[in-house]
Amino acid sequence: MLVGQFPSDLEIEGRQTVLILLAQIKNISNGIVVGQPDIWILESAEKLTSWQGISNVIISSLAAAISFLGGLYGVSLIKPEFRARNSVEVLLLAGLAVCSVIAIITTIGIVFSVIFESIRFFKLIPPLEFLSGTVWNPEFEGAARAGSGQEGRAAYGSIPLFAGTFLISIIALSVSVPVGLLAAIYLSEYATRRVRGTVKPLLEILAGVPTVVYGFFAALTIAPFFRETGVLLGLDVASESALAAGFVMGIMIIPFVSSLSDDVINSVPQSLRDAALGLGSTKSETIKKVVLPAALPGIVASIILAVSRAVGETMIVVMAAGLAANLTANPLDAVTTVTAQIVTILVGDQEFESAKTLSAFALALTLIVITLVLNFFALQIVKKYREQYE
Amino acid sequence: MLELGEVIVNCADVSVFYGDTRAINNISIDIEKQSITAFIGPSGCGKSTFLRTINRMNDTIDSCRIEGRVKVDGEDIYAPSVDVVPLRAKVGMVFQKPNPFPKSIYENVAYGPKIHGLSNNKNHLDEIVEKALTRAGLWAEVKDRLHDSGTGLSGGQQQRLCIARTIAVEPQIILMDEPCSALDPIATSKIEALMSELSAEYTIIIVTHSMQQAARVSKRTAFFHLGDLIEYDSTDTIFTNPKEQKTEDYITGRFG
Repeated sequence: MLVGQFPSDLEIEGRQTVLILLAQIKNISNGIVVGQPDIWILESAEKLTSWQGISNVIISSLAAAISFLGGLYGVSLIKPEFRARNSVEVLLLAGLAVCSVIAIITTIGIVFSVIFESIRFFKLIPPLEFLSGTVWNPEFEGAARAGSGQEGRAAYGSIPLFAGTFLISIIALSVSVPVGLLAAIYLSEYATRRVRGTVKPLLEILAGVPTVVYGFFAALTIAPFFRETGVLLGLDVASESALAAGFVMGIMIIPFVSSLSDDVINSVPQSLRDAALGLGSTKSETIKKVVLPAALPGIVASIILAVSRAVGETMIVVMAAGLAANLTANPLDAVTTVTAQIVTILVGDQEFESAKTLSAFALALTLIVITLVLNFFALQIVKKYREQYE
Repeated sequence: MLELGEVIVNCADVSVFYGDTRAINNISIDIEKQSITAFIGPSGCGKSTFLRTINRMNDTIDSCRIEGRVKVDGEDIYAPSVDVVPLRAKVGMVFQKPNPFPKSIYENVAYGPKIHGLSNNKNHLDEIVEKALTRAGLWAEVKDRLHDSGTGLSGGQQQRLCIARTIAVEPQIILMDEPCSALDPIATSKIEALMSELSAEYTIIIVTHSMQQAARVSKRTAFFHLGDLIEYDSTDTIFTNPKEQKTEDYITGRFG
């Protein structure tokens, strides 16, 4: 409409100029005046302002009319026969369903984006090489392109990364599962109410410490300690070792295992304990033979959670276990994990088309698949025991 | 006064406290061996609490404190030197709600003999399990599915499984805390018949809300009210010719 108001003698040179003029007019109507604009532009601006006023009035009256009509409709519906609760519940149901679908759709979206990028990666690097190669060395991409010979060729064998992840997770679990489980047994079966009331919240606070803090604790305190102990014992411990990272990761996971297991053990009915005690079991027999078996599905679930925390943990590994992709089973060596590699690949300036960047997606995809399989089997185990113990 | 045969449980001036609340007031009672004694009384009168002092199950409650003397087979069970584990093997307990372990039927019955080392080979254990289940009147119903879960049985079967589990340990006394209150009349009558059979070998003390049940199964009846033992006599006397007004009011349904 404004364009129709432009002076007829003005030469309009294409769309761009019109847009610029329009922007200028809008600015003036909003009170931003730059330089000395033409008179006709000021006039147009005034017109725009008045039009905006009119449109505001129209919009508000429309809104009022709609809400009034809606209100009338609503009032007309209110009759003794009208079951308001049913419609409200349908609405609520829809709302809840949408919320749950959002999470699922997002997950599916993530999986697909990872799959598409991975497909691009596998066009550059054959999947077999990625899955079975034992050398991970993406850094020589540039050199390989410059044609500097075979030595400079980048290698994308993911086995060292997965082996590293596995090694560190095993170390972390062998720290956290026994300690966490025994702590849970103490808290739920032996501790007095006061001790439990103090210790459990403390443990849960431990779960809230950011992993970066654990990371530098591992890198600056635990790793040097292990190295020096190693020197005393005549062992060659790398300053960034899988043991240090796994140990600290285990400490980090303890609260998850203990807090969840404690809840599970507590939810075993008192009547079962009474039955066992009434048969003349000692307290430890009661716990070992009755309480723990009954709590087993929940305990397994808490361990699964611990595993997924350990596999997904990145910060501690980046800081304490190093970035060297060694294929080793020696916990004293430096290793790296899948997640830590993804971070190093994607941090910093990257060429998006290069195999190195794309490899992060392939790693992510493999990790997703592995965690899915793990979770699936874990759920099967839980299900089996649940059938047996209920 | 009441004539008793051989006495197996002898309580003198027993008081039980939960924190500062007195749940049982100076109760003295003797229980006859190999017979059924019923404890009746309105809810909250302390009969279950008193039952649980006989195998020290009250020990599991932190705030619970006991005064007085309880002797089982002539031995003071609250003496400092007493180990509760063999005591509870000797004085078994069946609870109000059936509480089988979430294990197989076989494992439920074998649990006690295993922890007490009553059997050292599989065949002997099988025998113990079969015998206990037979005595509990459950063998015929479960012999083909011994390895199914005990929690899959009906309520009445579960309660008989709990009784089998208790007698597998060969106790002398079986304490039953309202064993039929969660069961239907048919299951109840089965358990009552079972109790009568078992009383030939075991001393049974049963807490019950049902006066008809006490009248049907027990030889002696003790009436509790507000932590006091009001009257203790042969069941016939209690139900036909009570000496205390309170007892008469209760059994005729005037209160409780």
